[in-house]
Amino acid sequence: MANSSPVVTVLNPGDTTKPNPFTICIVANPALEAPWQSRQFVVDPITLSNAAFNGCAKYIQDVLFGNLPGQRELFLADPAIAPKIRVVTLFVSGLPALDANSLVAQDADSNLLVARRVAFQPFLVRYGLVADVAYGVSASTTHTRASAWFTSDDDARPGVGFTLDGVALAHRYYCLIPGTVGIHVTATSMTALHEFGHALSSYSNGMVVDLYVDSNPALNCKAGRPIPPQFANYNAATLASDPLRDTLGYPPGWNSYHCELLDPGFPALMDDYWLAPDSVPEHCQHDRITRQFLTDRIRAKIQR
Amino acid sequence: MEPLKPVRKRQILEASPSATPEEVAEYEKLLAERFTVDPDLPRDPATLNLRQRKTDRLRELRQKLFPDAEAETNGGETTATR
Repeated sequence: MANSSPVVTVLNPGDTTKPNPFTICIVANPALEAPWQSRQFVVDPITLSNAAFNGCAKYIQDVLFGNLPGQRELFLADPAIAPKIRVVTLFVSGLPALDANSLVAQDADSNLLVARRVAFQPFLVRYGLVADVAYGVSASTTHTRASAWFTSDDDARPGVGFTLDGVALAHRYYCLIPGTVGIHVTATSMTALHEFGHALSSYSNGMVVDLYVDSNPALNCKAGRPIPPQFANYNAATLASDPLRDTLGYPPGWNSYHCELLDPGFPALMDDYWLAPDSVPEHCQHDRITRQFLTDRIRAKIQR
Repeated sequence: MEPLKPVRKRQILEASPSATPEEVAEYEKLLAERFTVDPDLPRDPATLNLRQRKTDRLRELRQKLFPDAEAETNGGETTATR
Protein backbone atom coordinates (compact mmCIF):
# COMPACT_ATOMS: atom_id res chain seq x y z
CA MET A 1 0.00 0.00 0.00
CA ALA A 2 1.41 3.36 -0.97
CA ASN A 3 1.96 5.91 1.75
CA SER A 4 -0.56 8.66 1.09
CA SER A 5 -0.15 12.29 1.92
CA PRO A 6 -1.48 13.04 5.36
CA VAL A 7 -4.82 14.79 5.35
CA VAL A 8 -5.08 17.28 8.20
CA THR A 9 -8.49 18.90 8.49
CA VAL A 10 -9.35 21.65 10.92
CA LEU A 11 -12.95 21.14 12.00
CA ASN A 12 -12.87 23.99 14.49
CA PRO A 13 -10.02 26.52 14.49
CA GLY A 14 -10.21 27.21 18.21
CA ASP A 15 -8.57 30.24 19.78
CA THR A 16 -6.36 31.48 16.97
CA THR A 17 -4.92 34.22 19.19
CA LYS A 18 -3.00 31.60 21.17
CA PRO A 19 0.07 29.68 20.03
CA ASN A 20 -1.21 26.46 21.61
CA PRO A 21 -4.98 26.51 21.99
CA PHE A 22 -6.71 23.63 23.73
CA THR A 23 -6.80 20.98 21.02
CA ILE A 24 -8.73 17.80 20.41
CA CYS A 25 -7.22 15.55 17.72
CA ILE A 26 -9.21 12.83 15.99
CA VAL A 27 -6.86 10.41 14.25
CA ALA A 28 -7.42 7.46 11.94
CA ASN A 29 -5.41 4.73 13.61
CA PRO A 30 -2.75 3.56 11.17
CA ALA A 31 -1.95 0.25 12.86
CA LEU A 32 -3.62 -1.97 15.45
CA GLU A 33 -1.64 -3.73 18.12
CA ALA A 34 -3.30 -7.15 18.26
CA PRO A 35 -3.52 -8.13 20.98
CA TRP A 36 -2.68 -5.25 23.29
CA GLN A 37 0.89 -5.33 24.65
CA SER A 38 1.90 -8.11 22.23
CA ARG A 39 4.02 -5.85 20.01
CA GLN A 40 2.36 -7.47 17.03
CA PHE A 41 0.87 -4.99 14.61
CA VAL A 42 -1.51 -5.11 11.68
CA VAL A 43 -2.80 -2.36 9.42
CA ASP A 44 -6.04 -0.89 10.76
CA PRO A 45 -8.84 -1.14 8.16
CA ILE A 46 -9.83 2.45 8.94
CA THR A 47 -6.91 3.53 6.76
CA LEU A 48 -8.80 2.14 3.77
CA SER A 49 -11.79 4.41 4.20
CA ASN A 50 -11.30 8.12 4.52
CA ALA A 51 -15.06 8.58 4.12
CA ALA A 52 -15.88 6.32 7.07
CA PHE A 53 -13.28 8.09 9.17
CA ASN A 54 -14.69 11.48 8.24
CA GLY A 55 -18.16 10.29 9.23
CA CYS A 56 -16.89 9.19 12.61
CA ALA A 57 -15.01 12.46 13.11
CA LYS A 58 -18.20 14.38 12.35
CA TYR A 59 -20.07 12.24 14.87
CA ILE A 60 -17.43 12.95 17.54
CA GLN A 61 -17.53 16.66 16.83
CA ASP A 62 -21.34 16.65 16.90
CA VAL A 63 -21.64 14.93 20.26
CA LEU A 64 -18.83 16.96 21.83
CA PHE A 65 -20.57 20.20 20.98
CA GLY A 66 -24.10 19.07 21.76
CA ASN A 67 -25.37 18.67 18.23
CA LEU A 68 -26.93 15.22 18.33
CA PRO A 69 -30.73 15.29 18.02
CA GLY A 70 -32.23 15.81 21.45
CA GLN A 71 -28.85 16.01 23.18
CA ARG A 72 -29.03 17.66 26.60
CA GLU A 73 -25.38 17.60 27.75
CA LEU A 74 -24.11 20.86 26.32
CA PHE A 75 -21.22 21.93 28.52
CA LEU A 76 -18.78 22.25 25.64
CA ALA A 77 -21.35 24.10 23.55
CA ASP A 78 -21.15 27.11 25.86
CA PRO A 79 -20.44 30.08 23.56
CA ALA A 80 -17.65 31.10 25.92
CA ILE A 81 -16.00 27.69 25.47
CA ALA A 82 -16.78 26.10 22.09
CA PRO A 83 -15.05 28.69 19.88
CA LYS A 84 -11.87 28.33 21.96
CA ILE A 85 -11.49 24.62 21.29
CA ARG A 86 -9.44 23.55 18.32
CA VAL A 87 -10.57 20.29 16.69
CA VAL A 88 -8.32 18.70 14.09
CA THR A 89 -8.54 15.41 12.24
CA LEU A 90 -5.65 13.45 10.78
CA PHE A 91 -5.95 10.70 8.19
CA VAL A 92 -2.90 8.92 6.83
CA SER A 93 -3.00 5.69 4.88
CA GLY A 94 -0.25 3.37 3.83
CA LEU A 95 1.94 3.61 6.89
CA PRO A 96 3.66 0.37 7.86
CA ALA A 97 2.20 -1.59 10.77
CA LEU A 98 4.82 -0.64 13.31
CA ASP A 99 4.93 0.34 16.97
CA ALA A 100 5.37 4.03 16.17
CA ASN A 101 2.27 4.02 13.94
CA SER A 102 -0.02 2.20 16.33
CA LEU A 103 -2.37 4.32 18.41
CA VAL A 104 -4.99 1.72 19.29
CA ALA A 105 -4.80 -1.87 20.50
CA GLN A 106 -7.23 -4.76 20.74
CA ASP A 107 -7.66 -5.96 24.30
CA ALA A 108 -7.06 -9.68 24.80
CA ASP A 109 -9.54 -9.90 27.67
CA SER A 110 -12.51 -8.14 26.12
CA ASN A 111 -13.64 -6.46 22.93
CA LEU A 112 -12.32 -3.11 24.12
CA LEU A 113 -10.27 -0.88 21.91
CA VAL A 114 -7.44 0.47 24.07
CA ALA A 115 -5.61 3.68 23.28
CA ARG A 116 -1.81 3.26 23.24
CA ARG A 117 -1.52 6.48 25.17
CA VAL A 118 2.20 7.17 24.97
CA ALA A 119 2.25 6.68 21.21
CA PHE A 120 -0.02 9.62 20.46
CA GLN A 121 2.26 12.59 21.13
CA PRO A 122 5.25 11.43 19.09
CA PHE A 123 2.94 10.36 16.26
CA LEU A 124 1.09 13.67 16.18
CA VAL A 125 4.29 15.71 16.34
CA ARG A 126 5.32 14.16 13.02
CA TYR A 127 2.37 16.03 11.52
CA GLY A 128 2.85 19.25 13.45
CA LEU A 129 0.03 18.53 15.88
CA VAL A 130 -0.23 18.65 19.66
CA ALA A 131 -3.26 17.32 21.52
CA ASP A 132 -4.79 17.79 24.93
CA VAL A 133 -7.27 15.01 24.21
CA ALA A 134 -6.91 12.59 21.32
CA TYR A 135 -9.21 10.01 19.78
CA GLY A 136 -7.79 7.06 17.88
CA VAL A 137 -10.46 5.77 15.50
CA SER A 138 -10.31 2.12 14.50
CA ALA A 139 -12.27 -0.11 12.14
CA SER A 140 -11.22 -3.29 13.91
CA THR A 141 -13.29 -6.23 12.70
CA THR A 142 -13.52 -7.77 16.18
CA HIS A 143 -13.15 -5.02 18.79
CA THR A 144 -15.82 -2.36 18.85
CA ARG A 145 -16.08 -1.03 22.38
CA ALA A 146 -14.54 2.31 23.35
CA SER A 147 -12.28 3.05 26.30
CA ALA A 148 -10.19 5.93 27.55
CA TRP A 149 -7.20 6.82 29.70
CA PHE A 150 -7.21 9.92 31.88
CA THR A 151 -4.77 12.75 31.24
CA SER A 152 -1.38 12.69 32.96
CA ASP A 153 -1.05 16.32 33.99
CA ASP A 154 2.18 18.26 33.99
CA ASP A 155 2.06 19.09 37.68
CA ALA A 156 5.30 21.05 37.46
CA ARG A 157 3.57 23.72 35.40
CA PRO A 158 0.88 26.18 36.42
CA GLY A 159 -2.86 25.83 36.45
CA VAL A 160 -5.96 27.07 38.21
CA GLY A 161 -6.14 25.89 41.79
CA PHE A 162 -9.21 24.38 43.37
CA THR A 163 -10.08 22.47 46.50
CA LEU A 164 -11.81 19.13 46.77
CA ASP A 165 -12.84 18.21 50.30
CA GLY A 166 -10.11 20.49 51.63
CA VAL A 167 -7.36 19.10 49.41
CA ALA A 168 -5.61 21.60 47.14
CA LEU A 169 -5.50 20.46 43.51
CA ALA A 170 -5.17 22.23 40.17
CA HIS A 171 -6.68 22.25 36.73
CA ARG A 172 -3.32 22.09 34.98
CA TYR A 173 -2.79 24.00 31.77
CA TYR A 174 -0.61 21.35 30.19
CA CYS A 175 -0.22 17.59 30.17
CA LEU A 176 2.63 15.14 30.07
CA ILE A 177 0.44 12.57 28.31
CA PRO A 178 -2.84 13.66 26.74
CA GLY A 179 -6.13 12.06 27.59
CA THR A 180 -6.63 9.35 25.00
CA VAL A 181 -9.58 7.43 23.63
CA GLY A 182 -9.75 4.28 21.54
CA ILE A 183 -13.04 4.33 19.67
CA HIS A 184 -14.64 2.33 16.87
CA VAL A 185 -15.67 3.93 13.61
CA THR A 186 -19.26 2.76 14.22
CA ALA A 187 -19.57 4.43 17.66
CA THR A 188 -22.85 6.20 18.25
CA SER A 189 -24.87 8.23 20.71
CA MET A 190 -23.12 9.49 23.88
CA THR A 191 -20.11 7.19 23.69
CA ALA A 192 -17.59 9.75 22.43
CA LEU A 193 -18.69 12.31 25.04
CA HIS A 194 -18.67 9.74 27.84
CA GLU A 195 -15.07 8.87 26.90
CA PHE A 196 -14.18 12.55 26.69
CA GLY A 197 -15.28 12.85 30.33
CA HIS A 198 -12.67 10.28 31.27
CA ALA A 199 -9.97 11.62 28.98
CA LEU A 200 -10.24 15.24 30.06
CA SER A 201 -9.96 14.25 33.72
CA SER A 202 -6.67 13.64 35.44
CA TYR A 203 -4.75 10.93 37.25
CA SER A 204 -3.36 13.48 39.70
CA ASN A 205 -6.06 16.17 39.87
CA GLY A 206 -9.36 14.34 39.72
CA MET A 207 -10.39 11.17 37.93
CA VAL A 208 -13.85 10.91 36.36
CA VAL A 209 -14.63 7.21 36.57
CA ASP A 210 -17.34 4.88 35.30
CA LEU A 211 -20.42 4.92 37.50
CA TYR A 212 -22.06 1.77 36.14
CA VAL A 213 -19.67 -0.43 38.11
CA ASP A 214 -18.89 -0.34 41.82
CA SER A 215 -15.91 1.93 41.26
CA ASN A 216 -13.28 2.94 43.76
CA PRO A 217 -13.37 6.52 45.10
CA ALA A 218 -12.61 9.26 42.60
CA LEU A 219 -13.85 12.74 41.80
CA ASN A 220 -17.34 11.55 40.89
CA CYS A 221 -17.53 8.48 43.10
CA LYS A 222 -17.26 7.85 46.82
CA ALA A 223 -17.54 4.79 48.99
CA GLY A 224 -19.36 3.94 52.18
CA ARG A 225 -22.71 3.10 53.70
CA PRO A 226 -24.94 4.67 54.80
CA ILE A 227 -24.75 7.26 52.04
CA PRO A 228 -24.20 10.67 53.65
CA PRO A 229 -26.29 13.65 52.51
CA GLN A 230 -23.18 15.56 51.45
CA PHE A 231 -21.18 14.16 48.55
CA ALA A 232 -18.30 16.62 48.44
CA ASN A 233 -17.11 20.12 48.98
CA TYR A 234 -15.81 21.42 45.67
CA ASN A 235 -14.31 24.91 45.69
CA ALA A 236 -16.32 25.87 48.79
CA ALA A 237 -19.58 24.63 47.26
CA THR A 238 -21.34 21.80 49.04
CA LEU A 239 -22.69 19.17 46.68
CA ALA A 240 -25.29 16.61 47.70
CA SER A 241 -25.09 12.86 47.28
CA ASP A 242 -27.47 10.89 45.10
CA PRO A 243 -29.03 8.64 47.74
CA LEU A 244 -30.91 6.50 45.21
CA ARG A 245 -28.95 6.47 41.95
CA ASP A 246 -32.26 7.61 40.54
CA THR A 247 -33.90 5.49 37.88
CA LEU A 248 -31.21 2.80 38.24
CA GLY A 249 -30.73 2.16 41.96
CA TYR A 250 -27.52 1.06 43.70
CA PRO A 251 -27.28 -2.75 43.44
CA PRO A 252 -27.10 -4.65 46.73
CA GLY A 253 -23.51 -5.06 47.76
CA TRP A 254 -22.26 -1.86 46.19
CA ASN A 255 -20.16 0.34 48.41
CA SER A 256 -19.87 3.29 46.03
CA TYR A 257 -22.24 6.22 45.70
CA HIS A 258 -22.51 9.21 43.40
CA CYS A 259 -23.10 12.95 43.35
CA GLU A 260 -26.54 14.46 42.88
CA LEU A 261 -27.89 14.40 39.36
CA LEU A 262 -28.74 17.49 37.37
CA ASP A 263 -31.76 15.62 36.03
CA PRO A 264 -32.89 12.83 38.36
CA GLY A 265 -34.99 11.41 35.56
CA PHE A 266 -31.96 10.11 33.67
CA PRO A 267 -28.74 8.27 34.49
CA ALA A 268 -25.57 10.33 34.71
CA LEU A 269 -23.56 10.41 31.52
CA MET A 270 -20.70 8.55 33.21
CA ASP A 271 -23.22 5.93 34.33
CA ASP A 272 -25.06 3.54 32.01
CA TYR A 273 -26.54 5.98 29.51
CA TRP A 274 -27.94 3.05 27.50
CA LEU A 275 -30.49 2.70 30.33
CA ALA A 276 -32.14 6.08 29.82
CA PRO A 277 -35.77 5.41 30.77
CA ASP A 278 -37.09 6.78 27.50
CA SER A 279 -34.42 4.84 25.56
CA VAL A 280 -32.86 8.12 24.45
CA PRO A 281 -29.28 8.20 25.81
CA GLU A 282 -28.88 11.71 24.41
CA HIS A 283 -31.07 12.90 27.27
CA CYS A 284 -28.42 11.95 29.86
CA GLN A 285 -26.27 14.66 31.42
CA HIS A 286 -23.29 14.71 33.74
CA ASP A 287 -23.95 14.75 37.47
CA ARG A 288 -23.37 18.02 39.29
CA ILE A 289 -19.74 17.59 40.34
CA THR A 290 -18.65 16.11 37.01
CA ARG A 291 -20.27 18.93 35.06
CA GLN A 292 -18.66 21.57 37.25
CA PHE A 293 -15.25 19.90 37.33
CA LEU A 294 -15.03 19.34 33.57
CA THR A 295 -16.28 22.83 32.83
CA ASP A 296 -13.75 24.40 35.20
CA ARG A 297 -10.97 22.25 33.81
CA ILE A 298 -11.67 23.20 30.22
CA ARG A 299 -12.02 26.87 31.17
CA ALA A 300 -8.60 26.72 32.78
CA LYS A 301 -7.04 25.13 29.74
CA ILE A 302 -8.57 27.50 27.18
CA GLN A 303 -7.24 30.50 29.10
CA ARG A 304 -3.61 29.33 29.18
CA MET B 1 -15.16 2.60 29.07
CA GLU B 2 -18.31 2.30 27.05
CA PRO B 3 -21.04 0.54 29.03
CA LEU B 4 -22.39 -2.73 27.70
CA LYS B 5 -25.78 -2.42 26.10
CA PRO B 6 -28.55 -4.26 27.95
CA VAL B 7 -29.13 -6.56 25.01
CA ARG B 8 -25.48 -7.58 25.09
CA LYS B 9 -25.65 -8.41 28.79
CA ARG B 10 -28.64 -10.64 28.09
CA GLN B 11 -26.79 -12.34 25.25
CA ILE B 12 -23.80 -13.06 27.47
CA LEU B 13 -25.97 -14.70 30.10
CA GLU B 14 -27.92 -16.68 27.53
CA ALA B 15 -24.76 -17.93 25.88
CA SER B 16 -23.19 -18.92 29.18
CA PRO B 17 -26.00 -20.33 31.35
CA SER B 18 -23.74 -20.97 34.33
CA ALA B 19 -22.73 -17.31 34.48
CA THR B 20 -24.49 -14.89 36.80
CA PRO B 21 -25.26 -11.17 36.51
CA GLU B 22 -22.91 -10.66 39.47
CA GLU B 23 -20.07 -12.23 37.49
CA VAL B 24 -20.79 -9.95 34.54
CA ALA B 25 -20.71 -7.01 36.96
CA GLU B 26 -17.41 -8.16 38.46
CA TYR B 27 -15.90 -8.62 34.99
CA GLU B 28 -17.00 -5.12 34.04
CA LYS B 29 -15.63 -3.68 37.27
CA LEU B 30 -12.23 -5.30 36.74
CA LEU B 31 -12.10 -4.05 33.16
CA ALA B 32 -12.99 -0.50 34.17
CA GLU B 33 -10.55 -0.51 37.06
CA ARG B 34 -7.58 -1.05 34.76
CA PHE B 35 -8.03 2.46 33.38
CA THR B 36 -8.00 4.10 36.81
CA VAL B 37 -4.31 3.38 37.37
CA ASP B 38 -1.73 5.38 35.44
CA PRO B 39 -0.04 2.61 33.46
CA ASP B 40 3.12 4.64 33.00
CA LEU B 41 3.98 5.19 36.64
CA PRO B 42 6.26 2.74 38.47
CA ARG B 43 4.55 0.37 40.89
CA ASP B 44 5.82 -1.38 43.99
CA PRO B 45 5.88 -5.20 44.06
CA ALA B 46 2.81 -5.46 46.27
CA THR B 47 0.78 -3.35 43.87
CA LEU B 48 2.03 -5.36 40.92
CA ASN B 49 1.06 -8.59 42.67
CA LEU B 50 -2.42 -7.26 43.37
CA ARG B 51 -2.77 -6.18 39.76
CA GLN B 52 -1.71 -9.62 38.55
CA ARG B 53 -4.28 -11.30 40.79
CA LYS B 54 -6.96 -9.05 39.36
CA THR B 55 -5.83 -9.83 35.83
CA ASP B 56 -5.99 -13.54 36.61
CA ARG B 57 -9.51 -13.16 37.95
CA LEU B 58 -10.50 -11.10 34.92
CA ARG B 59 -9.30 -13.86 32.59
CA GLU B 60 -11.06 -16.50 34.65
CA LEU B 61 -14.30 -14.56 34.32
CA ARG B 62 -13.75 -13.99 30.65
CA GLN B 63 -13.37 -17.69 30.01
CA LYS B 64 -16.61 -18.33 31.84
CA LEU B 65 -18.59 -15.51 30.26
CA PHE B 66 -17.26 -15.94 26.73
CA PRO B 67 -16.48 -19.63 26.36
CA ASP B 68 -16.58 -19.48 22.57
CA ALA B 69 -14.56 -16.33 22.13
CA GLU B 70 -11.05 -17.53 22.89
CA ALA B 71 -10.00 -18.01 19.28
CA GLU B 72 -10.93 -14.55 18.11
CA THR B 73 -10.17 -12.71 21.40
CA ASN B 74 -13.10 -10.46 20.85
CA GLY B 75 -15.04 -10.87 24.06
CA GLY B 76 -17.85 -12.43 22.10
CA GLU B 77 -19.26 -9.25 20.69
CA THR B 78 -19.31 -8.48 17.01
CA THR B 79 -20.14 -5.30 15.25
CA ALA B 80 -23.46 -6.81 14.25
CA THR B 81 -24.56 -7.18 17.86
CA ARG B 82 -23.87 -3.61 18.88
